[in-house]
Amino acid sequence: MSIEVSGGKRGLTDPVIAAQILAAIPDKPLETQRKMNYFVTPRGRRLNEYEVLCCYTQPTPDWIAGGLDWGDWTQKFHGGRPSWSNESTEMRTTDWHKHRDPAFRWHYLYVKDKAEEWRYTDRFLKAYSADGHVRSIDPVWRDEVLGDYLGAFGFSEYGLFNSHSSVTRDCLGDTIRMSTAMIGLDKVDNAQMIQAERTFLAKIVPGFNESTDIPKAEWTKGQIYKGARETVEDIWQATYDWNEILFSGHMIYDPLFGQFVRREFFLRLSAYYGDNLTPFFINQMQLYHSQTKGITTDMFHTCLSADTEFGEYNDRLMRAWSDKWLPRTVNALKDFMGIFAKIPEIKGVTSKDAIQAALERVFEDWERDYAAPIGYKVDTAAHIKTILTGLK
Amino acid sequence: MAISTATKAATDALAVNRAPVSVGAQEVHKWMQSFTWDFDKNRTKYSTKYKMANDTKEQFKLIAKEYARMESVKDERQFGSLQDVLTRVDAANRVHPKWNESMKVISNFLEVGEYNAIAATGMLWDSASAPEQKNGYLGQVMDEIRHTNQCAYINYYFAKQGQDAAGHNDARRTRAIGPLWKGMKRVFADGFISGDAVECSINLQLVGEACFTNPLIVAVTEWASANGDEMTPTVFLSIETDELRHMANGYQTIVSIANDEAASKYLNTDLNNAFWTQQKYFTPVLGMMFEYGSHFKVEPWVKTWNRWVYEDWGGIWIGRLGKYGVESPASLRDAKKDAYWAHHDLFLLAYAMWPTGFFRVSLPTAEEAEWYEANYPGWYEMYGKVYEEWRARGCEDPNSGFLPLQWFAENNHPIYIDRVSQVPFCPSYCKGASTLRVLESNGKKHSFSDPWGERMWLSEPERYECQNIYEQYEGRELSEVVAEGHGVRSDGFTLISQPHTNKDGKLWTLDDIKKIGCVFTDPLKAL
Repeated sequence: MSIEVSGGKRGLTDPVIAAQILAAIPDKPLETQRKMNYFVTPRGRRLNEYEVLCCYTQPTPDWIAGGLDWGDWTQKFHGGRPSWSNESTEMRTTDWHKHRDPAFRWHYLYVKDKAEEWRYTDRFLKAYSADGHVRSIDPVWRDEVLGDYLGAFGFSEYGLFNSHSSVTRDCLGDTIRMSTAMIGLDKVDNAQMIQAERTFLAKIVPGFNESTDIPKAEWTKGQIYKGARETVEDIWQATYDWNEILFSGHMIYDPLFGQFVRREFFLRLSAYYGDNLTPFFINQMQLYHSQTKGITTDMFHTCLSADTEFGEYNDRLMRAWSDKWLPRTVNALKDFMGIFAKIPEIKGVTSKDAIQAALERVFEDWERDYAAPIGYKVDTAAHIKTILTGLK
Repeated sequence: MAISTATKAATDALAVNRAPVSVGAQEVHKWMQSFTWDFDKNRTKYSTKYKMANDTKEQFKLIAKEYARMESVKDERQFGSLQDVLTRVDAANRVHPKWNESMKVISNFLEVGEYNAIAATGMLWDSASAPEQKNGYLGQVMDEIRHTNQCAYINYYFAKQGQDAAGHNDARRTRAIGPLWKGMKRVFADGFISGDAVECSINLQLVGEACFTNPLIVAVTEWASANGDEMTPTVFLSIETDELRHMANGYQTIVSIANDEAASKYLNTDLNNAFWTQQKYFTPVLGMMFEYGSHFKVEPWVKTWNRWVYEDWGGIWIGRLGKYGVESPASLRDAKKDAYWAHHDLFLLAYAMWPTGFFRVSLPTAEEAEWYEANYPGWYEMYGKVYEEWRARGCEDPNSGFLPLQWFAENNHPIYIDRVSQVPFCPSYCKGASTLRVLESNGKKHSFSDPWGERMWLSEPERYECQNIYEQYEGRELSEVVAEGHGVRSDGFTLISQPHTNKDGKLWTLDDIKKIGCVFTDPLKAL
């Protein structure tokens, strides 16, 4: 036969071609090592599929810690700046490829989870609307808090989302690049879920305003989110060190400001105002927060803080970054206290003692999970006292 | 509307209609463009001489969760096929050995391209100011992660289930040894991520994806299938479904700068440079992988190239962008000449340098030689005779002590590396258009094989300082270099790469190479 195959014949199914192929194949496999990436040090007992598919996908030269490649970049920026370089961060490590998503999510597993959440969201909204739950929401909470202030919080999430773009470009490891893109997508998903909730309310509450105009005005001109907006703007566009962007956003601002706003304000209070819609969305955001926390604490604690050569230096740098970003976050929370004057007071829930308890929960969590592992000493009582001065 | 009235209205509405209501992706997406805000520090971290418009839209209007749903459905089909029916029919062991070797390279090198495209589109996400445009690039960031994982899955699958795992199982640490690697990094890595953000978009989306992914990702599936490989079509065609979004992103990049004055000054030069950059590597390498990396042939590479690159891209796709001032690249005509002989020239060199690969290569069989001569008249006189001579001297047999590299030295045909593309060339023995040009700068010599690349270097030499393999390995013995680059199998001494895929052929070891005494010497030093 001719070796030129025509008519869409396939080597697997065409008997003549298949016979020739089988005749050419060695009688036994030529190599016994069948594990791809067998040279990679696994995080657990044995190499998993995530590590096989993700580790060392980046062609890093060996002068960037952990790289397997050699030599220079084949094309550089105008002026000669390298494609990727150690100068892109003040952090130091013996291996930029060490990070692992604790959930070992490669793309397939990541989108599978989110796809299920989307399908379930659709089912939930249909049941919620058909059941008439919306009638029980306090009108002020619904129209002002959800309409305006939850809408404005969407800009915080959207700004943080954008802070991941330059990290996705500049970071020095493959697993952290993939993780960064995923936690970035989660942030824009949060912003979109907030808009989805507002659009949903507009569909079942005649007159509810789903436009982003008022929330945007609140975010850009209002006092309640002033400190948050300025901090987010600085994380997004005024910070160039890719590790500092991740650290300021996910190790300081979001575990404090984000957690207070999502968990201690919207999630905790919504039930008191008859709102069982918002918790559905916020709980998804809290799941993402938890997954992100796993990723960023792996990067900054398990990898960088525990680095055999540079761990101590990295801890010092993270403490310096904490000194820089904590006061801004505290200020953001102080400004946010103004929101309590906008809602009908419920004793023991929105009164000062309850707010202080909520702040203590957030700060305790942060101190234990974020500050202590890098040896950062923090006077939480003083910070909470400062924040509470923002109550009107 | 007053608050209390709204509640009453909601209650009244429920009384009339309790039909379930949800929210669609488009109802959310329509607000995307308003998600951003102006502030003093809001500017990209990556400079570009172009100005992207603030109101640029995207064509694929997805929100995060809808994106995940779509991709998840495709993943289920794809991985279902691979893990179920293809495994049950032992498909990985029914692939022609030559093609099994080609997929070590194709899949891993494409993985590098996909991986770097994550960073490239991260840069574009940062550079764009319109939220919809950012969203389009974000979708591509996620796609590129998907594709990186998918390409890896091909090597993972072949390693686990196929006939020769070596090279599939460790490409990420052995790929850097050989002469094809650096050229691939130029087009698939640094060309996407290092430069003016719009220039990078042109490299990645307008040329890499709109032009060369068609032959690379679509045409390759026909060659794979002809040679018994059904895994590659299953994965690559699923990848291709996302490429439409990427081409649309490239199109929107042009739309976003169309009214910018800089576009009329620089766009066509950037496009021409990007096209030449991409074609300089892909034209010969893809042709070589298809024709020399297979036993069963689909059609001559020159025909595939002409259809996808010259007519479809250079004509139709670029034609659509004509209203924005985009013209077909001036270098397209020269590239068309390369499409005929350049891959034959390159295979001659690639075969000669076989010990530095992470895959086995084979000389053409008699029936393959007949096919080459029929489709490329003059092939035998130039190449076929040389392969016959090499075979007669025992180039496949480790006991022969003969490496084809020796033939080049004996016949005074030095092999140079083009400084800009990093593609090897032999100006004294080729049918393609390669000509040797040598320039000196800061006491260092640089060789070039074509005027388009040379012009890029003359404009910005600081962008192309990368050492070539001669400079890296100067004075070192070949087996030492191979061992250092982990180019051996799990027994520790048999080379991953081999100069044949004969089922009964003997395999070369490090000692077989060492006894030949081949030492890297930079031919530019002799000039």
